[in-house]
Amino acid sequence: MVLQVLKKIFRSHAVKIIIVGAGEVGYHIASRLAFENKDVVVIDKSMEAIRRITENLDVQGIIASGSSPEILEKAGICQAEILLAVTDSDEANLVACLMADMLSPATRTLARIRNAHYDTYHDAFKKAPPHINTVINPEIEVVKTIYRLMKIPAAVDMGELVEGRVKFVGLRLDKNSPMAGVRLKDFASMFGQTRPLIAAVVRRQELIIPRGEHRLEVGDLVYFICENNRLKETVALFDTTSIPLRRVMIVGGGRIGERLASLLEKECIHTKIIESNLDRCHVLSEEMSKAVVLHGDGSDQNLLLEENVGDTDVVVALTNDEETNILVSLLAKNLGAKSTITKVSKFSYIPLMSTIGLQKVVSPRLSAISSILHDVRKGKVLSAISVLGEEAEMIEAIALETSAITGRPLKKISFPKGAILVSIIREDAIMIPSGESVVEPGDRIIIFARRQVVHKLEKMLTVKLEFF
Amino acid sequence: MRWQYIGDIIGILLIFLGVVMVFPLGCSFIYHDGSLMAILVSMAATLCTGTLLFFASRRPDIEYINPREGIAIVALGWAAIGVFGALPFYFGDAVPSFTDAVFESVSGFTTTGSSVFTNIEGVSKSLLFWRSFIQWLGGMGIIVLSLAILPFLGVGGMQLFKAEVPSPVPDKLTPRLSESAKILWYVYAVISLVEVLFLMGGGMGFYDALCHAFTTMPTGGFSTKNTSVAHFDSAYFDFVFVLFMVLAGINFSLHYQLLRGRTLIFWRDSECRFFLLMCLTLTLVVTLDLYGSVYDSMTTAFRYASFQIVSIVTTTGYATADYELWPGLSQSIIFICMFIGASAGSTGGGMKCARLMVCMKYCYRELFTLIHPRSVAQVKINDAVVPDHVLKSIMGFLGIYLFLFVLCTVLLASMGVDMLTSLGAVASCIGNIGPGFGTVGPVDNFAHIPMAGKWLLSWCMLLGRLEIYTVIILLVPEFWKK
Repeated sequence: MVLQVLKKIFRSHAVKIIIVGAGEVGYHIASRLAFENKDVVVIDKSMEAIRRITENLDVQGIIASGSSPEILEKAGICQAEILLAVTDSDEANLVACLMADMLSPATRTLARIRNAHYDTYHDAFKKAPPHINTVINPEIEVVKTIYRLMKIPAAVDMGELVEGRVKFVGLRLDKNSPMAGVRLKDFASMFGQTRPLIAAVVRRQELIIPRGEHRLEVGDLVYFICENNRLKETVALFDTTSIPLRRVMIVGGGRIGERLASLLEKECIHTKIIESNLDRCHVLSEEMSKAVVLHGDGSDQNLLLEENVGDTDVVVALTNDEETNILVSLLAKNLGAKSTITKVSKFSYIPLMSTIGLQKVVSPRLSAISSILHDVRKGKVLSAISVLGEEAEMIEAIALETSAITGRPLKKISFPKGAILVSIIREDAIMIPSGESVVEPGDRIIIFARRQVVHKLEKMLTVKLEFF
Repeated sequence: MRWQYIGDIIGILLIFLGVVMVFPLGCSFIYHDGSLMAILVSMAATLCTGTLLFFASRRPDIEYINPREGIAIVALGWAAIGVFGALPFYFGDAVPSFTDAVFESVSGFTTTGSSVFTNIEGVSKSLLFWRSFIQWLGGMGIIVLSLAILPFLGVGGMQLFKAEVPSPVPDKLTPRLSESAKILWYVYAVISLVEVLFLMGGGMGFYDALCHAFTTMPTGGFSTKNTSVAHFDSAYFDFVFVLFMVLAGINFSLHYQLLRGRTLIFWRDSECRFFLLMCLTLTLVVTLDLYGSVYDSMTTAFRYASFQIVSIVTTTGYATADYELWPGLSQSIIFICMFIGASAGSTGGGMKCARLMVCMKYCYRELFTLIHPRSVAQVKINDAVVPDHVLKSIMGFLGIYLFLFVLCTVLLASMGVDMLTSLGAVASCIGNIGPGFGTVGPVDNFAHIPMAGKWLLSWCMLLGRLEIYTVIILLVPEFWKK
């Protein structure tokens, strides 16, 4: 009797999440979730990785293999709401999910699986024994992002919301842009109905949520939202130069490179792939029909010149080595390539990229984190996309009748500082809200928020009743 | 080193200390013992300083405390609390000088239990309550308490937790730090409450029962009586105290696991088993030694032997008998017990059983490899390998502990204190025990130690409570370099 009362007292009420793998992805997800006051247990074989994570974050670490049922039990899988298997090995992730399913069928599982062979079976995992609720392959997302960035040359960051009907785009203002020096409240008179809705501005590495009085400056990274069918016109407002995409050079023929090349092939874009491993080149040449496969080192200046890098529209650096990618992009730019896209996985490098002149950066890890966070969030959150190297998030949600944001004019609702409601979607119409707008139950809303306020926002979007 | 950050958190700790002075204030109000003004003034001074410090150093919006700042916050925070906790004694005229007040307060917070009061029963009830209460606060740790009830520390909390919790490898019980801190305090409070009930069941008044529970559970050892627990002279109370001292000397995470239904955990955990067996063996040896020479009956010998051994091993320091009158064997055992200490993660001080076990196993491994030069052997505790860096840090700890013991003994002796007293006083203060040997034995007190000696011993107590590294590192010049 006493024991039961005590047990009840000691049971934690927070959502418990087990993360298998304390690598870069595991670390950053743990950091986000711990920040949002969730109970996080991280399992990894490497003592160093666990030491790093437990020293810097408020999480519990276990040094062991996450695919061992004994360890999962010890980590409390039965009380866990979600298991995230995000190690570098597909097999380890699968086994971890399988064991979790065996021990605690109620726990939701999510696995990061990158091998293309599994691509078509993601849904099968849900029904058959491992019962993995969500399979995440960040490489598919990354290839999509790269393709979108290619299509809009001025954009440096881009994402989709509302099943692709709404896009958010990050653009850097250059000297020629008519928007430089304009106050936000003058936008309506300058551009009329097609004015872009500006969600955030990044100036000198600092995130600003602009109000009417703010002026845009040259060099600002501007994030805005617009409807998909008006994307071209809106982007044209910022920058008049727009070149069609014809020639692409991919450096690094790994999994992402291969996926991207096949996609470009379908779109009839002239593609060259440079790969340093001869065996891999053979495989690629077998897979590709039109793309040119070149064997060589991507950071070799002669090879780039030989292959006419100066006439290339986009050079995409996708090798497995961060530093090589950065150097290849710089070199290509120097040799006259019109635009470059660089794959960078180390988060500490991402803020540096714009200082060295590389604007377009993609990170498979960042997109893995976005997808996983989206899956973890409670309530009616439909998608959440990390922007600015996870400094902020674009959150799409359904406004519930019980949540605190419906039924009153927006100016009467106290939003957490650092969050802005950027648009309301009612049926087919996309509206830019003003202080007088009222969110009705069932509307979809898009909110831009700094990561510090995400957990407050999450509470706000879920049920009000939790407080009473 | 970001000073505004450190100042800010120490400010919060002082505000917290000021707030808990409400309890002795209430006590004084109930008993009309004339200390009301003294406590009010102390409370005001503490609150004002805390608030000033807090507002003077509003912390910039950062979420990460680096290990160095964590150490500085804990070490300086404890020093500040020791000084401000002394104010009630000083203003209440319980002690002749401020030095004595600080000694008494630090002895309280570090759960040492060495006293400078010559006539304890002559001190007002509310001040004695404060004296017991600060031991209770210090036992599970002021920082841990603030982590439990104030969610202000966020991510940096782990650095503070590690610097305060007495264990070679501090471990969280649950994923979240604040939750772990809450559980530790909860278990601590529940066991304290049970002890109060046991003591009252034996006929002790509520005030005495509360004060004694407040000093048993943190293995502190302050008593409200001049003759300590010997005042009650009852086998029942002796038994209750021994039981709760043993409980307090066991790792609190084991209590938590016991409460969650793992009944055999005390026996399964190798450190706890070592601790219990050690208490039992030493008690039996001392009983045999005392039987016939000091006490005529076996049961009496066992009663006094078990109480003294448990009291010293758990670093509590209650007294029911003057062990200085015992034979040489018993005295030596008690002296050595002062170094061993209780389990890691308990409220006790000393070197801790876990470290001793690791040290012994390490030595055995060395000998083993001499015999089998090609053997690959690991030091294991609870079937888990002790990693190399932990092994090194434990060896380093034992080395520094003994070195500081020698150094402080020599320093104290140089102030004119005799050798036996110096050895006993330093061993007792650095191990957070209470009574020592010579002129600071279980029936004496520390009032006659020279002023510089009291400061030295206060420093030793902080060293012991914060497990050496946290305090000693402030003296390393490298620590202050940018």
